[in-house]
Amino acid sequence: MKISLKINGVLHEVEVEPRKLLVHLLRDLGYKSVKVGCDTATCGVCTVLLNGRPVKSCNLLAVQTDGAEIMTVEHNEMESLRVSFKKHHASQCGYCTSAMLTIAYYLKKTAKTREEIVEGLSGVLCRCTGYQNIIEAI
Amino acid sequence: MKYVGKPTPRVEDDVILRGRATYVDDIEPPGVLYAGFVRSPYPHARVIKVDLTDVVVAKGVVAVFSSEPPFALGGKVRYQGEAVAMVLARDRYLLQDALEKAVVEYEPLPPVLDMYEAMKPGAPLVDESLGTNVVYDKTYEGGDAALRGAVVIEGRLSVRRVIPSAMEPRGVVAVYDGNMLTIWTSTQVPFDVKKEVASALNLPLSSVRVIQPYVGGAFGSKVLVYPEEIYVAAAAYRLTTAVKWTATRSEDFKTTTHGRAMDLEYKVGVSKDGRVETIEGVIYADAGAYYWGEGLVDTAARMLTGPYDVKYARVRAVAVLTNKTPLGAYRGAGRPEATFFIERIMDRVADELGLDPVEVRKKNLIKQLPHTNPFGITYDTGNYIATFEKALEKLGYFKLKKWAEEEWEKNKRMIGVGFSTYVEITTFGHETVIMRVERDGSVTVYTALAPHGQGLATALAQIVAEELEIPMERVRVVWGDTAHVPDGVGTMGSRSITAGGSAAILAVRQMKSKLAEAAAEVLKCQPEYKEGVFHCGGKSVELRDVVKHMYKKRIQPIVEVTYRAEATFPFGVHIAVVEIDPETGFVKPLIYKSYDDVGVVVNPLLAAGQIHGGALQGISQALYEEAIYDNAGNLITQNLALYPLPTAVEAPVFEVHFAEEFHPSKHPTGTKGVGEIAAIAAPPAVVNAVEDAVRKTSRARFCKTPITPEEIYNAIWKIAPPLC
Ligand code: FES
Ligand code: FES
Repeated sequence: MKISLKINGVLHEVEVEPRKLLVHLLRDLGYKSVKVGCDTATCGVCTVLLNGRPVKSCNLLAVQTDGAEIMTVEHNEMESLRVSFKKHHASQCGYCTSAMLTIAYYLKKTAKTREEIVEGLSGVLCRCTGYQNIIEAI
Repeated sequence: MKYVGKPTPRVEDDVILRGRATYVDDIEPPGVLYAGFVRSPYPHARVIKVDLTDVVVAKGVVAVFSSEPPFALGGKVRYQGEAVAMVLARDRYLLQDALEKAVVEYEPLPPVLDMYEAMKPGAPLVDESLGTNVVYDKTYEGGDAALRGAVVIEGRLSVRRVIPSAMEPRGVVAVYDGNMLTIWTSTQVPFDVKKEVASALNLPLSSVRVIQPYVGGAFGSKVLVYPEEIYVAAAAYRLTTAVKWTATRSEDFKTTTHGRAMDLEYKVGVSKDGRVETIEGVIYADAGAYYWGEGLVDTAARMLTGPYDVKYARVRAVAVLTNKTPLGAYRGAGRPEATFFIERIMDRVADELGLDPVEVRKKNLIKQLPHTNPFGITYDTGNYIATFEKALEKLGYFKLKKWAEEEWEKNKRMIGVGFSTYVEITTFGHETVIMRVERDGSVTVYTALAPHGQGLATALAQIVAEELEIPMERVRVVWGDTAHVPDGVGTMGSRSITAGGSAAILAVRQMKSKLAEAAAEVLKCQPEYKEGVFHCGGKSVELRDVVKHMYKKRIQPIVEVTYRAEATFPFGVHIAVVEIDPETGFVKPLIYKSYDDVGVVVNPLLAAGQIHGGALQGISQALYEEAIYDNAGNLITQNLALYPLPTAVEAPVFEVHFAEEFHPSKHPTGTKGVGEIAAIAAPPAVVNAVEDAVRKTSRARFCKTPITPEEIYNAIWKIAPPLC
């Protein structure tokens, strides 16, 4: 099937097999920051923003995103969060970090309290940090 | 230039935070074939026939392997998930389709899943060639057996099996171009992979290059060379092509080594005033299907006396094969088990004799360092009693205790405060550093350390910059490619900065004298060195000009230094504060505080990060995680939906302290290692805290990790309070 979607503001028109997962499409298109960490839609390391809202890209078929706008961590608007993540040592191995930054970008806009940030982050697992530095970075 | 001891953000972050760090699954060589494995659903079975007829003709399939490289050694699979065949296809989706077409005929054999069953005569044998499932049995004994405590306390403690769960599943890419076999793999030990692949394929070592790309966590679980690394390399070599394998999460959970899985049966002799004089016992390790976890049970046994001055100890270390995923190193590898055991014993002693656990520690802590424990391990430096007292004060232990009491009295909140103290052993083996001063005076450092999240490139750059007195931005660290870096061990056992950093310091010192010789030629006098400039006789020359002079004279400013690092011993005290919901038995970790004497701290920002992460793993081991098998040998907790990793919601607030009065190791860095301490200290502190909270209503004693909400609920409501 042919679909068109905007990724980080750039229009892509692609031919995809109906069964292809969004995460695989994004990675095939070179957006390798989007990771895969599980096969049960649990870990959240594949998180991207779909029309401004966080989704697990392993849990969507690429064809469902026809006409959508997707944002990944490669996007320039992440810069101030990057600075903050670095300052707070919010990343260790880095495998969850793209997803953490992406969700952080969303939480920056929506969360009002520390509790809301914690709650919002709970959709992405990190095995290296104790989460505290990520919370503080946001 | 002061870098060591300063909280310094990581150089590694710039690439990671842009989403540009390359992990093994991000590597796509041209024409790469995707490998997948046909895996046994049985934990124990004879492989009668592997029929791949339908697989071979399936769309996209390029090759299949079922007898070469040798799968299912001895015609038998020993744990659920063991590979029996490999399929290569052009596309990942087609690969999955093809794998489903494999028909394997098995003769299921009775599995043995419980290690105590496995030790009984007549139990099914995991490895017939051994004639027993007891794959290892060794007794350690030492000290003065004449001293016997008046009170004898016996018991049993258990640290259940857990899954390390690095967020990046294992994976490997191999390319053979007809001359060179290049392997990218998610590993902690590139040089071991190189050696084992070369020997498996009978290739010269010079034809095998192993690259460790960014690795998405390991925690000891990637310290072995796995069968898949050999299989994939072999397939690429045989077909002169590029092959890639990436584990799915459930594949990873079944085939990547599990951790812990040890029990202790103990008997201690205690004086009436709480001095533990003797410890005797047996540690049993559930080794799983292959004895890959060599040394784990030995470490647990030999560190069993912990930071205490026990006069006599005799411990049998037993490892038993079962039809489960092989046991391997997991953050601490033997020391978390030893520490959990001895700390629970100390708490029990206090409880049985009606003494304060703090006083029991003070009575038993080693008074004078260095100290040789009953098994002949010599703890190097420290002042345990002073550090212990300072820690309790600094961490506000007594205040927290009081606050928890008040919260119970006023608001009926069930808050528990627990502490643990530990000594651990880190560091072993050699590490080599090659250092080159570039033509402009900047420095490149090559190391065989294999970081995977620790920030070692940053820490090494700090050390080198400080020692050479140049800006850190002028130092670059190269790691992870056996074609560039000197042969070395890798990253494990909290050894990296102590071993590799010390090699780097010695390299700088050698480099300085080499540079000084050249500077003397330029200046015609014996110069002093300060901050990148050589001075003497009122003249001076900059580092870059000295180097220029050397290059002109065809002298390479390169040094290579190998450093052999003996063991060193961090000590510390950690405190956990938890709150129990009495309606559900569920525990919320509220606060986690640490006070550690780890010698010199190179980068407090990164060191604290190691404490946070290690502590959360330890907390999770104490409260949530257990790898569970059913009676048929199926791994029930086979994916992240069924195996609970802690999220941000479970994480406590951390407060990390490093001792102001620290005791450096004897290594050039003065460091002792920080990667594993919190994973070691957290489980007993948390269990202690839970017990403390439960004690508000009932006299329970917990003796295993994890403690489940059900057990806690039953304890609180006195339905079945565990007492062990
Ligand atoms: S890959 Fe784990 S949730 Fe998407
Ligand atoms: S930094 Fe390693 S998983 Fe989060």
